[in-house]
Amino acid sequence: MLQGLTILTQPIIFMQLTINGVAMGMIYALMAMGLILLIRAIGVMNFAQGELLMLGAFITWGLTYQVKLPLPLMIPAAMLCFALVGVIFMFLVYWPLRNNSYPTATVISTMGAAMAIREIATITWGSLPLVAAPLVKGVLRVGNMRIVQYQYLLTIVIGAILIFLVFMLFEKLYAGRIMQAAAQDKYAAELLGIPTILTTAATYIIVVTLASVGGFMIAPVFLVNVTLGSLQLRAFAGVVTGGFGSVKGAILGSLIIGLVESYSSAFTTTYKDAVVFLVLIVVLLFRPQGIFGELIADKA
Amino acid sequence: MSEKNNSNQKIIVDLKDTSISAISIFKIVAITAAFIAFAVYTPKFTNAYSMMILNISLINFIAALGLSVMLGMGGQLSFAAVSFMGTGAYFVANLTNGRLGVAWEPVPVLVGAVLFSAVFAYICGSILFRLSGTYFTFATIGLVQVTWSVYLNYRPLCGGPDGVSGIPVIRFFGMSPRDYHDWFYVLLIFVLLAGFLVERIRRTRLGRSLASVRDNEIAAQTLGVNIYKTKVIAFTVAGALSGLAGGLYAMHNQFISSDIFTFDMATTYVIMAMLGGVNNTVGVFVGALLVTMLPEWLRPIQRYLKLTYGVGIIFLMIFMPMGLAGLGNMILKKFFRRKKGQKETLLTDEDETGGEV
Repeated sequence: MLQGLTILTQPIIFMQLTINGVAMGMIYALMAMGLILLIRAIGVMNFAQGELLMLGAFITWGLTYQVKLPLPLMIPAAMLCFALVGVIFMFLVYWPLRNNSYPTATVISTMGAAMAIREIATITWGSLPLVAAPLVKGVLRVGNMRIVQYQYLLTIVIGAILIFLVFMLFEKLYAGRIMQAAAQDKYAAELLGIPTILTTAATYIIVVTLASVGGFMIAPVFLVNVTLGSLQLRAFAGVVTGGFGSVKGAILGSLIIGLVESYSSAFTTTYKDAVVFLVLIVVLLFRPQGIFGELIADKA
Repeated sequence: MSEKNNSNQKIIVDLKDTSISAISIFKIVAITAAFIAFAVYTPKFTNAYSMMILNISLINFIAALGLSVMLGMGGQLSFAAVSFMGTGAYFVANLTNGRLGVAWEPVPVLVGAVLFSAVFAYICGSILFRLSGTYFTFATIGLVQVTWSVYLNYRPLCGGPDGVSGIPVIRFFGMSPRDYHDWFYVLLIFVLLAGFLVERIRRTRLGRSLASVRDNEIAAQTLGVNIYKTKVIAFTVAGALSGLAGGLYAMHNQFISSDIFTFDMATTYVIMAMLGGVNNTVGVFVGALLVTMLPEWLRPIQRYLKLTYGVGIIFLMIFMPMGLAGLGNMILKKFFRRKKGQKETLLTDEDETGGEV
């Protein structure tokens, strides 16, 4: 414990861990945002969120190293793929089940989808980890000390931009308001002539894009492999820690989870996982509504 | 999530509980006959390896029954089954194999494991049910991660990554099962006990309160049901069943390690419960059997096994969300209705209430 504190108080290490934590937190936030958007719009908990991130990493890897597209072409092509994945995902896993009287069925079907996506990725790309080069090579240095890879800083920047874009969409744009209206009351929205099938599809496309970009950013750091899917558990933790039903809470909660995970590595490496989720349970004990949340339990 | 669905939910009252209809007699007879046939004939056509897998499916059934109580009766999706299986398994392992200096009789230790898991589940339930619905589910995932991490790393009690080995088998009055075929009958006794317990709970105050909480929380509250307490008790019952399953697993395999207490396994239990029909004990039995045995049967398509499995789950949820039991009930109803006219449609039997979750 004391040893961990002395490690943590060294400024260089503290900075490293902070940047690491914020970068990972951004990845979790991208997934957590998607989770909240889906829960708000259609009331579905998506257990394939981590697999969508993994698929994003694989798609961008495939476009870069197998199709051999240069970066400026790769990005629009990847976006197109993400949108396609989003639409397919919606029409397979959500649309046939939308009028089901049994809400858990939709949740279970996302679990089935998670398994299917994982297997499709394994069959297509194999189970060995694939190496992806970082977008910006090199390491940030202060004096002679290596602080952190530029990839982490880039992840933070890209994550922040995406979060900003999503907020702009929902706060400022007409399309975003339509989507919000459809999320709040599907029936009334349909009476107003809003095509809810399109808004739902748009939500799915946004969710898949957010998670996939997370996968793209994380690929150089973690290698591209099927175990990336397990990162979704941290996103779940972020959603609960931050506060319920609000996108802001989910983002802040994810950042906290990222930081806690990063700082805890100064104290223990074996129980890193446990520390993260213990924080979650402690938060639940003292603030069951989440750190930033009002008590809005389960609002569709 | 709930708001959307509340509108088309009905409050189900089990009016017809004591009366016996042709359907329920037929069901009881059919189930008893099928079970006896299963108990008598399967061991004759099964080799030792398949028997072991079959036994594990029986253990899985007991754990999945806990989920059936939580999800089928109470409508609360919980992943925590593996956490309590773990407490049960490590409790049995530590107190019977002598690594802590004690090697007690297996049966009392098994009872102790069930109680210990129940207490642990009660404590966890009291904390986790401060959340509701979706967020409760997220929190149980957290619990699974914490317990898994402890099972994987904590050497003094859980053996770390090596697991715990050398666990003695169960012993009744000096008799122990010698091979997997003997174990099959031992486990059948526990399966019957657990099955009857859950069927009994369905007909008690707790079961009815749970069903009312599942169908409409506000209505349940106005009827004087303490929602929080009901959920916590159900969670405790589920924890006790999982603990029993864990303890049996430890004694059956004589070795445990953390890799059966992961989140992936937790989803497998949910799938087991859903496949057969979540609010139906027989359905859960069939589900546990299918999910455990399927990888063995589908060996020829090993490469595409998990893909088939995943896609199969999606299609299952699309076409029969009530699982195989729901399908069976529907066919039975149609068959009897044709014979006896409209009389049966007025009566709801308890399995059908599951359709309104």
